[in-house]
Amino acid sequence: MSTQQAEPESQEAPEDPEMKGAESPAAEQQKGGGMVDEQAEKEAELEGETVHIKVFRYDPEVEGKQEPRFDDFHVPFTKGMTVLDSVMYARDEYDSSLTFRHSCRQAVCGSDAFFVNGKQRLGCKTQISDLEQPVRIEPLPHQEVVKDLVVDMDHFYDQMHAVEPYFQDEDTPETDALEEQRQSPENREKIKMSSRCIWCGACMSSCNIAAGDNEYLGPAAINKAYKFAMDDREGEEIKEHRLRILEQEHGVWRCQTQFSCTEVCPKDIPLTEHIQELKREAVKKNLKFW
Amino acid sequence: MAEQYSSFTPGGTRWFLQRVTAAFLVVVLAFHFFLLHFVNHAYEVTFLGTQARMENVGYLLTMVLFLITATFHGVNGVYNALVNQGLEGTQKKAVLAVLVVASVGLVAQGTYVALTMSGMI
Amino acid sequence: MSQSYNRGLIEDFGRWKEFSAGMWAWIFHKFTGWMLIGYLFTHIAVLSTSVGAAGNEAAIMAESDVYTTTLQGLEGLFLIRLLEVGLLAVAVFHILNGLRLLMVDLGVGLEAQDKSFYASLVLTGAITVASVPTFLTGVSL
Repeated sequence: MSTQQAEPESQEAPEDPEMKGAESPAAEQQKGGGMVDEQAEKEAELEGETVHIKVFRYDPEVEGKQEPRFDDFHVPFTKGMTVLDSVMYARDEYDSSLTFRHSCRQAVCGSDAFFVNGKQRLGCKTQISDLEQPVRIEPLPHQEVVKDLVVDMDHFYDQMHAVEPYFQDEDTPETDALEEQRQSPENREKIKMSSRCIWCGACMSSCNIAAGDNEYLGPAAINKAYKFAMDDREGEEIKEHRLRILEQEHGVWRCQTQFSCTEVCPKDIPLTEHIQELKREAVKKNLKFW
Repeated sequence: MAEQYSSFTPGGTRWFLQRVTAAFLVVVLAFHFFLLHFVNHAYEVTFLGTQARMENVGYLLTMVLFLITATFHGVNGVYNALVNQGLEGTQKKAVLAVLVVASVGLVAQGTYVALTMSGMI
Repeated sequence: MSQSYNRGLIEDFGRWKEFSAGMWAWIFHKFTGWMLIGYLFTHIAVLSTSVGAAGNEAAIMAESDVYTTTLQGLEGLFLIRLLEVGLLAVAVFHILNGLRLLMVDLGVGLEAQDKSFYASLVLTGAITVASVPTFLTGVSL
């Protein structure tokens, strides 16, 4: 994350004519032989062009930047450019104070979820050629903005930890009786998708209910709980304990099946489906006592 | 936030009842609309006609059950909508009390009306 | 955190053009739900005229009791008939989308949740339009 102090002149940089005219290295690039699919066409269109991005800016520590605004950048397009690439270019070439989280650049670390053209997306997994210009890049909604595209993730992490996101065993066996805990291929298949979560927070940010009800666990945490509750290697008692956390008023019942989370999840986790399954599990558990 | 989840308040029963009443209401509401707008027309309703329908005990019971389930389903829906908006604390309790009183009042009045229609009162 | 900026309810209603099917379904379901529960209270209030009508056999036979005259008076208003068509649309949508939600709750056809929403919209429209003649019989502006 860039933490540099802003230079005062950086504010006028975006409209600098010099920058607009920057010659793109992409112009040199050769087009691949027979590749004339849709993606290639879109990229060909942009070749040698600049991409217009509008980036949300806010910095509480610099006077004159405390009022949120949008900065325009014209970034030379290169083949395969992602949203993350474009803001990195803007930061490296035009305004070193532009701040955002990123790390692995391959959709594994989950640090660069942004609100791009009105949808929560992972910056490093979104091709800029797929988006309409100007590309509007904002921090995740419903979370406090710390600076530019950086939001406060504390509440999200609190919710994740509330579901006890770690494997639990009822009783640890004697040291000499220790054994590998095997999972059946079928059970592995069942929790496979839920285990793909990268804690990016896109789903939580897209959830209309999580925005209104601060206590709602949210899709990511419930999915995390699903991963363990559905794991056969955890005992019945632990599963019941997990369901008790989930079936509280601000647990699974708050989900209104809007499918927003499922739609934005960059790892294609069927979040709504998992939440629904847990609702049914919780009802079944309670019906037994009637 | 973990400590916020220490109190054990299952919301599952209400969720489940909302679904059960929904399944019932889908059928009865469709029947109700069909009967009073297509078989009989709303503009032709007279007390005599209403009385004739309500004198059938099965119909009367269905209508009273219809009223009870619809009131629960509707009022519970309203309550859920407010909880989704983040209603909490004293306000939440007050809203719940108002909604419960309104529901009981509606069901009582509705049942009384149904009984006058059937000629039982 | 020394200071941070709360962007409030951004994305909520100012961005309605970007809403997806599931979100629209929820908004419509909630809206129609409010209408229906509101109507239920009104409905019982109007039907309460039966309390005054019951027992007066002569008036009932002559169809001049307060229940009959109130209902027929209301039904004679074009506005009321129009509102009834609206009520039908609201109820039909709530029923159809409600069936969709019950399927979603049972975990059936979650991949087609957007299509089933569009289907409920189209069906609601068709049923409403087809019912207009029946609902507007014998009334004029």
